[in-house]
Amino acid sequence: MSDTGVQLKDVKKSFSVVDVIRGVDMEIKRGQFAVFVGPSGCGKSTLLRMIAGLEDTSAGKILIGDRDVTDVDPADRGVAMVFQSYALYPHLSVFENMAFSLRLAKRPKAEVKEKVHEAAQVLQLTEQLDKKPAQLSGGQRQRVAIGRAIVRAPEVFLFDEPLSNLDAELRVQMRLELARLHLKLGATMIYVTHDQVEAMTLADVIFVLQGGYVQQSGAPLDLYEDPSNRFVAGFIGSPSMNFFNATVVARADGRLTARLDGQPDQSFDIAMTTALEPGTPVTLGIRPEHLVVSEGEGMRVTVDVAEELGGVSYQHGTLEGGEAVIFQQIGARHGMHGTVQTILPQTDRIFVFSREGDRIR
Amino acid sequence: MSTAKRRRRELRNAALMVGPFVLILLIFFLYPTYKVIALSFTDAPLIGEGEWIGLANYAKLLNDKLFYTSIWNNFYFVLLTVIPTTVIALLIALAVSKLKGRMQALILTLFFLPYVLPVSVVTLIWAWMLDFQFGILQPLIEAVTGKSVPVFKNPHWVMPMIAVVTIWWTNGFNVLLMIAGLRNIPTDLYEAAALDGATAWQRFWRVTWPLLWPVTALVLTLQLILQLKLFDQVYLLSKGGPFNSSYVVLMQMYREAFQLNNGGYASAIAMVLFLIIVIVSVLQFQLLRIGGRRK
Ligand SMILES: Nc1ncnc2c1ncn2[C@@H]1O[C@H](COP(=O)(O)OP(=O)(O)OP(=O)(O)O)[C@@H](O)[C@H]1O
Ligand SMILES: [Mg+2]
Repeated sequence: MSDTGVQLKDVKKSFSVVDVIRGVDMEIKRGQFAVFVGPSGCGKSTLLRMIAGLEDTSAGKILIGDRDVTDVDPADRGVAMVFQSYALYPHLSVFENMAFSLRLAKRPKAEVKEKVHEAAQVLQLTEQLDKKPAQLSGGQRQRVAIGRAIVRAPEVFLFDEPLSNLDAELRVQMRLELARLHLKLGATMIYVTHDQVEAMTLADVIFVLQGGYVQQSGAPLDLYEDPSNRFVAGFIGSPSMNFFNATVVARADGRLTARLDGQPDQSFDIAMTTALEPGTPVTLGIRPEHLVVSEGEGMRVTVDVAEELGGVSYQHGTLEGGEAVIFQQIGARHGMHGTVQTILPQTDRIFVFSREGDRIR
Repeated sequence: MSTAKRRRRELRNAALMVGPFVLILLIFFLYPTYKVIALSFTDAPLIGEGEWIGLANYAKLLNDKLFYTSIWNNFYFVLLTVIPTTVIALLIALAVSKLKGRMQALILTLFFLPYVLPVSVVTLIWAWMLDFQFGILQPLIEAVTGKSVPVFKNPHWVMPMIAVVTIWWTNGFNVLLMIAGLRNIPTDLYEAAALDGATAWQRFWRVTWPLLWPVTALVLTLQLILQLKLFDQVYLLSKGGPFNSSYVVLMQMYREAFQLNNGGYASAIAMVLFLIIVIVSVLQFQLLRIGGRRK
């Protein structure tokens, strides 16, 4: 048995004339927790539904384990899906909801009972088995939806934004439970989310989708520390990365000096392997957490809004050239509103992108 | 402003707003109802006062052969229409809901079209189509039975044929209700069922049917009430004949009131029909609810 969980080979999808997925290759190992992220409308749900078999695949191949399932019925793919809306059968009790697939398969009563009770135990639903979905709280409904998937013991679990209808506190709790569940079941899981934190905390591997392609995939921290283009850099990390237009003014052995277009008296010395000609326009990316307030020279930022979260504060402002800047500070009540602050980046944490958005290393 | 004063003003406004409706209800609904009940205990003609004769009208009704024939025909007609029309409406709705966009609207309109026709036009069309000599449906009947049949003059054919006409005429409305019910079932339930391994048939029995049940029950109940009130089609197509084989309760009431000038007796018939409709429909509704809960 190979250790492939799910593999997509040049998968494409178009709805009549609109190409939504333009060519996606990915390999998810058996037992991995994969997360799809990307802006709204980029095709995350579509891709997930294609893996489930709920949408036809226009081109390419989908493999689950070693089987080519591109044209296989949803029920025979060995996948279970947890919908954002839960999709619980409103007329059936929690027990019957979880037992649905076993009933269809005409499994013996004793087995049905055992499997449902086992799943209910894991999800702390034993007390709720006789209730109808309408009598449950949001979190409980979510658990029933997951329970329905567990009972089927699928090779692959698919989740489409399963926590987005829950309030913040419950979301944190369910996130932890999902992580535990993954450890316990060891099954391959694919998870679609908008939420940065969910993606970073749950994922073994993140796939960033945009424009119908996988922009980058990798472990969460790899994407954070080494984004391969401007889109990924801006998408991973919260608040998102600052981008400044700059121009290369000098280069030396393994280094270059770039001057900010928005504040020409400020330039940075950055370690680079690629040699760029002086005069080349570039974009510098600096994360809010890598900007520090300095006493002397630096980027002058007029702060207009402060978001104080208690432990950290995010100061929003603009450079003299008008470019927006966010920088992070530890603690609260800095009283920077309306002032001009001088900030400097940690120079080893500056990313350089071409104006087209590609990373230059 | 004091609370008492505000309350008084609210009350006055409320009275002003419901007033017209209550008045109309009193004059055109409650008063006639009272009159019918009162009339049924008298020997009054259609117009004018009569003597109080207690339950004599009802006693007479119990010995009236035609009344039993009529009641029987009413229930026979219910049997011929209510469940068939519901099943047909469900099948059409299931088929139509598979269509997309404009095609769906077009087909739906076609099915709904007969419903907007007045009953006189409907009966005229069908009287032509089933005409013994020239009717375009006679060849079909001939193909099945071997000979032409004057359907509205044949005691075996008359009720089923009136049922067919009625179903054709009123089915569109039921289809509409069913479509609305089907649209209310979220598609992700079907997707979940498909992933759970349900075949098309299982999806219908385990998802569509139970979730559509409230609408089905509504259609059944509305149909029951409507079909018990059968009058127009019979009056226009067969006049209750042949040999009273399509006589129904409302026809008898009509005859007693407007042809024989027996206002009191007609009122008694109306009261009995009213009671039957109330009892049967409440009974059915309760039965359907229990059936729904068990699912
Ligand atoms: N059945 C369909 N017919 C036509 N276009 C569709 C259909 N389903 C999705 N699309 C289009 O495909 C694109 C991707 O949709 P999808 O639902 O996969 O986005 P998403 O990444 O899940 O977005 P979100 O994060 O908002 O859920 C959208 O532009 C959408 O309009
Ligand atoms: Mg989506």
